[in-house]
Amino acid sequence: MSGQSQRLNVVPTVTMLGVMKARLVGATRGHALLKKKSDALTVQFRQILKKIISTKESMGDVMRNSSFALTEAKYVAGDNIKHVVLESVKSASLRVRSRQDNVAGVKLPRFEHFTDHSAGDAKSDLTGLARGGQQVQSCRTAYVKAIEVLVELASLQTSFLTLDEAIKTTNRRVNALENVVKPRLENTITYIKGELDELEREDFFRLKKIQGYKKREIERREQDAKKYADNIPLKTGISMNSAHNLIFVGAEKDDDIIF
Amino acid sequence: MYGFEALTFNVHGGYLEAIVRGYRSGLLTAADYNNLCQCETLDDVKMHLSATEYGPYLQNEPSPLHTTTIVEKCTLKLVDEYKHMLCQATEPLSTFLEYITYGYMIDNVVLIVTGTLHERDVQELLEKCHPLGMFDSIATLAVAQNMRELYRLVLVDTPLAPYFSECITSEDLDDMNIEIMRNTLYKAYLEDFYNFCQKLGGATAEIMSDLLAFEADRRAVNITINSIGTELTRDDRRKLYSNFGLLYPYGHEELAICEDIDQVRGVMEKYPPYQSIFAKISYGESQMLDKAFYEEEVKRLCLAFEQQFHYAVFFAYMRLSEQEIRNLMWISECVAQNQKSRIHDSVVFIF
Repeated sequence: MSGQSQRLNVVPTVTMLGVMKARLVGATRGHALLKKKSDALTVQFRQILKKIISTKESMGDVMRNSSFALTEAKYVAGDNIKHVVLESVKSASLRVRSRQDNVAGVKLPRFEHFTDHSAGDAKSDLTGLARGGQQVQSCRTAYVKAIEVLVELASLQTSFLTLDEAIKTTNRRVNALENVVKPRLENTITYIKGELDELEREDFFRLKKIQGYKKREIERREQDAKKYADNIPLKTGISMNSAHNLIFVGAEKDDDIIF
Repeated sequence: MYGFEALTFNVHGGYLEAIVRGYRSGLLTAADYNNLCQCETLDDVKMHLSATEYGPYLQNEPSPLHTTTIVEKCTLKLVDEYKHMLCQATEPLSTFLEYITYGYMIDNVVLIVTGTLHERDVQELLEKCHPLGMFDSIATLAVAQNMRELYRLVLVDTPLAPYFSECITSEDLDDMNIEIMRNTLYKAYLEDFYNFCQKLGGATAEIMSDLLAFEADRRAVNITINSIGTELTRDDRRKLYSNFGLLYPYGHEELAICEDIDQVRGVMEKYPPYQSIFAKISYGESQMLDKAFYEEEVKRLCLAFEQQFHYAVFFAYMRLSEQEIRNLMWISECVAQNQKSRIHDSVVFIF
């Protein structure tokens, strides 16, 4: 990926450094949490997969049995039995409703079936009264069982798909954090630190340079001051030498003046 | 006159009796069923059937064959044979043949009435009707809004009219349970058929009363067993039993108060012909009862062919064809659903 370890374009200030550090901490914590979520989801996923496999196998058997029960009913009650039953139905008595389950933060749909007694299945108790009634009833129970298995399989499969999506998203986020966001932040922090260090060095260098200048300046002044003290004669007196001679030589005895 | 049919029967009925005996020899034998039971796919089934009488009906079907198609085409064959016989028949044989189809007509009428009650499309309903039970004004059944209208507009012209008088007395027949209506109609039909056969006299009356009595008794037992545990009261149950048959009237009294299969068994074992049926099924199990009844029925139907010069052969042939179609449906479903091990559970061999 191009620019994999780019850094963010920021002003390299100390405040920014603080901000970046905070973000890095956030990213690290987020990364750990998401990884945990991903693991939990994966565990659920495996469980559901196992359940799906066993349910599918049992569904195969159950569907077979129910089709066979239908054949038996057709045999005894006549081929028309399915038309008779179909035409005498007003509305379904076995219905399915869905609700949401929350698994590790992911909303999974769950289906469950329930019997709607108001749909009047009492009437169909007498189907095949003169022949085949028993087979029709056993066919009905077989199909009710088939529906139960199918509903369970349906909710398992939708959960499977939803979980799959969720796991993919979470893993994408984990990978993004791990491979893009954190390196970027780290690089930015390194850059900021580098810039700050450089600034500090520049400052130091500047400081040192200026100190050097100042020192030379002082030395020059001192020298200048010395030269000046040597060369300028005393305005009111004689030079120091003469003054010295005066004092010390003059202090030698003079002949007394006699009158 | 009993005994002298040989003199006059062939004048009117000879040709058709020959035809029906020819049809009967075209029914599938045990060898055919064995072959069919060995089939692996529906195409094999089709191939075996093409060697039988069903050949011309199935040969034009495209390859992904469905079990319902097989059953449809076989039923079509039965319908064709029936129509052929009907158009060649004279009185009273033609009435007799028509009587055979009233049962299907009742089913069709009930189907259309139910469907209309639940606002289904008429065309779809018509397609689902049994072809043997179609009559001309059947489509107008969908127009009627309640039973009185239904009766007045449509049913009064059909042969089913007299059967409705028993259940037409209550005004709101829509609430009345459809099954009860169907069974009341069927009861009236059986009684009517029985009386008609008695009027015909001779071997027909004898053989047909035996067959119809078996049918009535079997229905009584089924109604009893299937209404155990439902809201059908004892009086209603009593009303659905027919007025003839081996079980009438004392058996019906006892059956009406049965609450349990074992009680039913107790009642039935008092009648020797039914003892053998109930001996075949073990205690507490009633799944095999239907098959046992079918087997017994087939046995009696085959016996009908042993005598000559009577109309019961036609009835017997129709019923045997029905059973054959049921067998074929069972075999094709077992083959299609890969349940070959269960295939022998319910196939009733005719010969």
